[in-house]
Formats: sequence, structure tokens, C-alpha cells
Amino acid sequence: MFLPLIAVPLLLAGSALAVFTDEAWNVDYHYALLGHPKQSTSFFHQPNPSSRASLIFTLSEEGVLGAINPRDGAVVWRQVLLPGASAHNASFLRAGEGQDVVISGIGSQVAAWSAGDGRQAWSLDVNGPVEDVEILELVDGKDASGAKDAVALSGGDHPLVQRLDGATGAVKWQHQLGGTDAPYQVSASTTEVFAISLHKTILGYLKLKVTSLDPVTGHKTDEHMLSSENELATAETIVTVGANSASPIIAWTDSAHSVLKVNIMGTKGISSFEIEKHDGQAVERVELHAPYHLNSLSHFLVHYQTATSHWAEVFHVDLKNGKVGKAYSLPKLSGRGAFSTSTSDANVYFTRVTRNEVMTVSSASHGILGRWSVDGFNVAAGEGEEIEPIHAVSDVSVRGDTVSAVRSAVLLSTGDWVLLRDGSPVWDRPEMLASTVSATFASPAEMETLVQQLEAEAHSNPIQAYIHRVSRHLHDLQRLPSFILSLPQKIVQGFLGTSADGGIATDSFGFHQIIACATKDGRLVAVDAGNPDKVLWNQQVADLQPGQIWQPSVSSPRGGVIEISSKASAGVQYNASSGEQLASILPIDLAADQTAQEVKYTMHDGGLEATVDSSTTWHFMPTSGERIVSLVPRPVNDPVASIGKVLGDRRVLYKYLDPNLALLVTANDAARAATFYVLNTVSGAILYSNVHSGVDVSSPIASMLSENWFTYSFTAEALGDSPKGHQLVVGELFESLVANDRGLLSSTANYSSMQTGTEPFTLTKIYQIPEAVSKMAVTRTRQGITSRQLLAVLADSSAVVGIPYGVLDPRRPINRDPSKDEQAEGLVRYSPVIDFDPKWYLNHQREVVGVKDVITSPALLESTSLLFAYGLDIFGTRLSPSFSFDVLGKDFNKFQMLATVAALAVATFVVAPLVMRKQVNSRWQFM
Amino acid sequence: MAGQLPPPPPPQWVLDLTSTTTPSKPKSGSIPDPPGFTSTTALTTKQSKSSSKAITPRKQPSPDEMDTLKLKKAWELALAPAKQLPMNAIGMYMSGNSLQIFSIMMVFMLFKGPITAVLNIQSTFQRLETETNRTQMLGVKAAFVGCNLLALALGLWKVNGMGLLPTTRSDWLAWETAREPLERAYYVPS
Repeated sequence: MFLPLIAVPLLLAGSALAVFTDEAWNVDYHYALLGHPKQSTSFFHQPNPSSRASLIFTLSEEGVLGAINPRDGAVVWRQVLLPGASAHNASFLRAGEGQDVVISGIGSQVAAWSAGDGRQAWSLDVNGPVEDVEILELVDGKDASGAKDAVALSGGDHPLVQRLDGATGAVKWQHQLGGTDAPYQVSASTTEVFAISLHKTILGYLKLKVTSLDPVTGHKTDEHMLSSENELATAETIVTVGANSASPIIAWTDSAHSVLKVNIMGTKGISSFEIEKHDGQAVERVELHAPYHLNSLSHFLVHYQTATSHWAEVFHVDLKNGKVGKAYSLPKLSGRGAFSTSTSDANVYFTRVTRNEVMTVSSASHGILGRWSVDGFNVAAGEGEEIEPIHAVSDVSVRGDTVSAVRSAVLLSTGDWVLLRDGSPVWDRPEMLASTVSATFASPAEMETLVQQLEAEAHSNPIQAYIHRVSRHLHDLQRLPSFILSLPQKIVQGFLGTSADGGIATDSFGFHQIIACATKDGRLVAVDAGNPDKVLWNQQVADLQPGQIWQPSVSSPRGGVIEISSKASAGVQYNASSGEQLASILPIDLAADQTAQEVKYTMHDGGLEATVDSSTTWHFMPTSGERIVSLVPRPVNDPVASIGKVLGDRRVLYKYLDPNLALLVTANDAARAATFYVLNTVSGAILYSNVHSGVDVSSPIASMLSENWFTYSFTAEALGDSPKGHQLVVGELFESLVANDRGLLSSTANYSSMQTGTEPFTLTKIYQIPEAVSKMAVTRTRQGITSRQLLAVLADSSAVVGIPYGVLDPRRPINRDPSKDEQAEGLVRYSPVIDFDPKWYLNHQREVVGVKDVITSPALLESTSLLFAYGLDIFGTRLSPSFSFDVLGKDFNKFQMLATVAALAVATFVVAPLVMRKQVNSRWQFM
Repeated sequence: MAGQLPPPPPPQWVLDLTSTTTPSKPKSGSIPDPPGFTSTTALTTKQSKSSSKAITPRKQPSPDEMDTLKLKKAWELALAPAKQLPMNAIGMYMSGNSLQIFSIMMVFMLFKGPITAVLNIQSTFQRLETETNRTQMLGVKAAFVGCNLLALALGLWKVNGMGLLPTTRSDWLAWETAREPLERAYYVPS
């Protein structure tokens, strides 16, 4: 009677697993993200010079180069140029006018990419970090038709200016910038190339040194120092070193932002402008927006930002006498604003985006050519938070003298990148999620209130509980009219089989869990796993200074609550559904383990240290030369349905189940070895250890521990007769390897690891896998009945695979076919190579780039586990490792079933009188 | 006065209609036979009876002979289940040990048959039991019960083969609980 119940998951475990076609694209979701775009590396550009259609190109803070379709916000192509880049990495992206390539510079690489499809045209590694890249818009006459050349400035020990061939990337000439000056930027006018470097004076101030070079030969024609006196303390107050306009300019301010100085490159004169004070508030930011084309008017706009307001001034450069003059100013508006420059032929347009409106002015006069009000950006934000535009890039359509339409890709203070077409939001890309550092699943607060109410009823006396329930039901009656109204629609949807599962409140399967992501810039963003198209809420939870690194960890101590804690601050709790901060912080109560004595262990001085009531119980120090790579404790909430494994002959192999297990990985860089320990974290005992030599310790070592098994993978170097390869090791811990034997402790109800140390019997198997695994996780279900799937992140192929445990089982028989009993268990003959079955790829056709971690959570259905992968991209799906045995799939045809029932009913009514007549006739008609 | 004539005999059709020669149960369910309807079977049996009677009038057996005959018949009844055993066993063997609707139904019938037979033992042998052969009948009944038990044993064997008897450790695994540790360790990120 009982065997079948236990055997069901075992039998299912052996069967192949797959992503079904009707589930692909349906249960999974994916945000192909780029990361926060930078103002300086984002622009509209026509990938095909002959067509008017343009794409938005950006090289983000995360080091990802991508092209976005401005119509729907979809990624046309993207390339990860520098994995793990941050906002501090200097990066450059340029596109020449009428060119079908974009040229990027990041790290020490300059590369050209086909603008239409993202294929690399060429790349060049320069010596030292790239300091600037510009496109030489020269009209040489000889190669006007070909690709435009690029000028790259590289830093390092020997700063170089190089002219690179636009078609091949070959170096045409290079000029060494002598001296100790730090190279800063490069710029080009029609006749000259300017290299600007920062010269440090004795007093510690900076001076700008401009070196003019001949663009054809690369010879130095002139060099002069700009007399910036004592104004430049740091390079940060240099506003701009304008590029590629008819008259490139250098602008800088003093550290107090009280005066703006402008120099036209190639001249020595400096124009000085007082920055007027508004309301006595200090100017926080000065930005300069200038057109990027040689043949456009040499006008530019300076944007001033204070804490509460912003305004701008437009300047004109008189090319004949080299004078800079103020033309007009744009009025002060409260809040933040973003300005962007667009050109149309020679005309220059400035588009101003504020929280209330978008307007466009011409650079020549202050008359407003187009003005559209913005009703809202249609993105989630924290309560009471004003959504502000941070920066924008715009594309202006000009018809006659007016601007007929303007499209602006605006980065908002919430981290969303939205496109406003004539002031109304068209799409939004939640780019803040690309910098997720920690994430957790939490059940919605709505579900939790019901649970709490039911608990309250269970714990009060019957009469009170009855009154409570009646009042609750009366309260629920308020929802009846809306329920009745929605009923016909529900029935129709259910009938046609198109019913999408409802909202969070009516989620009976537990698919609608809330995923809270803490991002690098101090925001907490919540997404509904069942309806991932929309960000639920998005809050600033930490005020970070620029450059400050935040290492939060997000967790869900109770249902409906998200707790965020970091090194600097204690845990702060938030309502999972609304994002409201909870006033009182409730202590984490682990009701089940109140009687258990608590041992706390932590990483300390390169080892582990455990304490009980502030007295140290054990130490773990890796041997000299070893460093701890990772520590994976068994999850606190790791339900196990059965304490033993049922063999084919119905005997039992008992699992070694101890909640206090941890898998510790140490690496020895000198000996190129990795050691793996399974520790009992109460007593500090080593239950299992294994050393692998010839390990490539620089490649990722992924490890995972769950239930009574652990797994890890590493890259083995070629050693002797064994080739280089990636290995996956699986170990399973048993009480005893003899069937029906429950080990030394037998069936005692409880035990103390401090007093009785039992050691598990460990079976391990090594498999060769085709690719390095960068991170591992395991599926989790509500009761642990469903078989497990090991989730492995493959960084090289941008994929997540789910490997069924049956494939990894360390009990697979070696060198023989499985016996009948073993076959009944689903064991197959051991083969040392595991090929990743294409059906295991959970992302199927999607390309999930830059996944740093994978988290899983059980749904309410036993069959289903939710998965969420984050890093650069966001990817989530639902998994049923033993198939969806408790829910009807999409292939179930409700209509067919109902039609069959109806047809049978009709048939019964039609046939009944016929049968009756026949029976009567058989009595009456004699012969 | 003698004008009081006896009532005329009813006509033939009335006699036919009211004749009690239609005691046969209607063949099909709830539909009553038409009045006056005589089932063909009733007619034929009557005819055959009358015809056989006409040919050889049967001689009634003596009570002793009757007892012997009854006992013989009783033994036949008692051993009938045993005769079915080999066929049942082959059937069970052929249906396999998998849990399918067919084999489950067969096993159910295998259990149901002997149990109902044993419960109805009195009514089975009632016809054959007389005052004189009562003691001998006890042996017959015991044999009947024994044969049915054999059939039950076959069922048990089958159920065991299907793995439905909780005889192994794994069947009781669900009642075994995991040992509770007295200590819990928590990792505190430093």
C-alpha cells in the first residue's frame, strides 16, 4: 500500500526532463538588460546611413554595449565588453556621421562594431587603459567614401595618441605624449587633433596641457598650457572637453561652481562667465551639451543643477574672432532636468526633459519649438518619491520651422530607462535590475494576512473563533459584487482555456511570489514572479555616496516581509506587497528550533570560528597556503519528505540527514589544488573531505549542498594522461551502506552532535561536463517529495541548465548494467561524461547573459519550484522536476472535455426513449 | 322457480386470460408482460414435461438413495472452488504484477468470490442437507471452507506479488521520523 506512494517520485526521477514547447515563452520571463546607460555613451544613430530608422546605442556602466530599438525598447544586439565593469570604468562609444559602425573603447580595447547587427569589425588592444576615443571627421578628399578613422588616447606608462584605420583598425600613426602628465582626452577639429593632458603643478593644482597634432602625419604642431590658475583641484570639475564640433571647446569650473571658464581649443584665450546664484543654493553640477557634428552650428548649452532646481544657458561661439558669447538662458525650473542635444543639418536643438514637460528649443533663439506635458513616466517608485530625469538623449523630427515630434530616451532617478514620445512614455526598461546584488523570494502580504487570521482562529476558543470567522466572512462579502461581475468573464476564459492565473490575492498555486532585488545603487525593487512584466515597487532604501559600495543581503524572515541588512546597518523590514517600511522589527522566530541550542559560526581571519553563547567552541583553519573559496551551509528551510531511499527490493537505505552540514571549499593557489570539506557545523567535525590536484583555481568553483547530498564542479588542468576538462562531483551521505540499517543512533528521537559523533558513509561519483559551471543551485519544493534538479549556470554559453538528480546519482552502477532492482529505482549504468541534453536548457532560445546567482523557492504546489536568476540579465521560470503531477497542463483541453460530457448527455436523452420503445416492443411483438 | 339457472360457464378466452399459467417472471425488468401472455419457455417446459411424463413415468428414489445423491452433489459443490484454483492461478500469473485496472479488478474478484461463498455457506448447502446426513455434511462444509481459503491464499500471494502487503521496511518508512538535533548552527556573515 505504501510503496507506490514513495516510489512515485523515484520512478519519475529517472525519466527525462524537458522544457515543454507550450510552456516556453509562457512560464518563463527574461529581461535582456544593459545596465545603467551613461549620458556620454548613449545616442541615437542610424545604423544604415541610407535609411532614416535609427537605433539607440549605449555603452552602459556595466560594460555592456547594446543597440535598442526605439520603437519597443527591445534589444537589437548587445555585447558584453567588460564583465563586472562598474561606473568607475571609463568607457567611450562613438559613431561617425553616416557610418555603419560604432567604435567603443573600454578597458584597454578599442573595437568597432557593425551598428546593424553587432558583429565586430575589428578590435585593437592598446597599451594601457583607453582614456578616450574619437572619430576623425576629416574630409581628406582621398578616402571620403570609406570608413572614418578613429583616434584613440591610451594611458599607462607611455601615453599614446593613435590614429586607427576605420576599416581595419590598423594603426596609421602614433604619437607619444612625453612627460609625466596624465592623458585626459583627445579631440578633433577639421584641421587638427588635440590631445589634452593634465599637468600637475607643484601646489597640487591641475593645469590643462593642449597638444595639437597634425591629423595626417601625427606630428606635433603646437603645445601650450592653459592658465587655469588655481581653479582645477581635481579633474572632476572639468566640465567638458568638447569633441568633434566645428570648434571644440574646453570648459571647466572651480570647485565651488562659481565661475565657468571656456577655451576654444587651439586658441589661448579663456572666456570667463560668472555662474549666478539662485536662491543661495550651491550649484551641484554643471554639464555642457554640445552638438557632435562638424558641420553643425557651434552653439552649446550649459546646464546648472542645484539641489532643488535647474536652469541652463546657451552660448554661441564666434568662429571668426574666437569669442564665446552668451546667447540666451532657459528659465529656472524646480526639480531636476535633463538636457539633450540633437542636430538636423546645421541646426542644433536642445531638448529639455523635466518631471512635468518635454520641450525643444533651437540653439539660435529661445523660442520654444515644441512643448509636451508629461503626465507621468509610468514607472513604479517609492511612496512620496519624485521621479526625476537624470539624463536623456533625444531624436528630433523637424518639419519646416517647428519640431513635429521628439523622442527622448530618459534615464530616471528610479533606474528605469524610458522613452518619451512627445511627452508620453512608450516603453520602459528596468535597467536598475541589471545591477542586482542580492535577491529573495517572499510570499505576498495579502496571502499572509489570511494565514494569520486562520492561525488566530485556530488558537482562540471555539466561540471567539466562530465569531471571528463569521465577521471575516461578512467582511469578505464586500467583494461579492465585483466577484459576480467578473464571473462571466472567468467562466468564458475557463471555457476557452485562456484563463491566465489571477492576481496576487487569488493565487492558489503560489506562483505569484514577490522577488525583492537589492541593487548596487541602493534601491530595493520588487517584481511579481507570476506577472513579471511590471515592477511592483521600487524604493530607495540606502543613501549611498558616489563610489560607496553597498553589500546588502535580502531575505524573507516571515511570509509577507522582506528584510534587508548590510554590513553598515541592522536589518530593516518591508512589506512585501507594498514596499512600506515596517515600523517594528520583529525578531526572527524559528519556532521549530526554540529548544535547540544555537551555535553561530562565521568567517574569521581566513578560517571559521563557531561560538555558543559567546564562547568559542571550534575553529577551522585551512592549512597554510589555502584560502577559503566558498562556504555553503545546508539551507535552513530544506524539507525532506523521506528519511531513506527505497531500494528496488523495497529495503531502505537511510539518508544521513543533519541540518548542521556545510560544504567548505578551499583552494591552494601555489599547489593548484582544491579541497572540499563537509563539516558538521555544531561540532566542527569533518565528515568528508577530498583533495583534487591540478585544479585551475582561477576559474570558478561552484558548490552546493542540499538534503543529504553535495555537489561541486571545478576545472581540472591537463595533468599527465588526463586532459583538461570540467568536472562535476556528486556525493551522497548515508547513515549506513547496509540496507535497513539506521546506523549507530538507530531510531533515537534526538541527538547531540557534541556528544555523539556519527560519521556518514559517503558515495561519490565524478562526471566530466562539457562546460564550466559558475554557480549552482537546487530546486526546492514545499515538502521535498518531488525529485530534485541541480541548476547550473553556464557562463560561457549564457545559459542555465537543470540537471535531473537521476543523472547525477552516485549509486549508478559502474561497468555493468543495472540489475532489475536498480532499474526499478531508475538507476542507469554509470557513464563518465554527462552531455547537457538540449532539453535541460531552461532558457531554451533565450540568451541569459551575466548570471551571478540563482535563487529558488517552493510554490504552493508540491510539483513546482520557482527559479530566479540575476546578474546582468533577469531570468525566471517555473520548474516541475517530476512533471506537473498536481496541476493540469496547458495541453489539457477543457473545451474537449466539456464537449464530450455534453455530447454524452445529449446522446443519453436521445437514446433513452428509443431503448424504452424497443423494450416495450420486444414484449408486445411476439414473432 | 327452477328458473334459477347456474351461471353460464365463462367463455374460453376468459379462461385463457385468467388462467394462472403465467407465473413466469417477466423477462425484462420493470415492463410487465401483456395480460394472457404465456412465455414460450413456460409453454415448452410444460409440453416437454407432459411429453416425458407420457413416455416414462419416473420412479421416485428411496430416502437412502436420495441421501447418497445429495451427499454426492454436496461434495461436488464443496470441491468446485478447488477445481477453479489452477485456472485462477494461471490467470493471476498472466495478469502481471503491475498496478493496472485489469489486474486490480481480477484481484478484487479473487477476494470477493471466496469470502461471499464462505458467508453464504448455509444457503449453498441448505437444499442438500437433511436430518440424516447432517454429520456428514459438516465434513463437506469444512472442505468447502478449506477450498475457499486456498483461493484466498492465492489472492494473498498475488497481492504480495504486487507489492501491496506492508511486509518490508520501506512500507513503514513514513512512520519513522528524522532524529531531531539538539543543536542548530547558523552561519553569520562576518
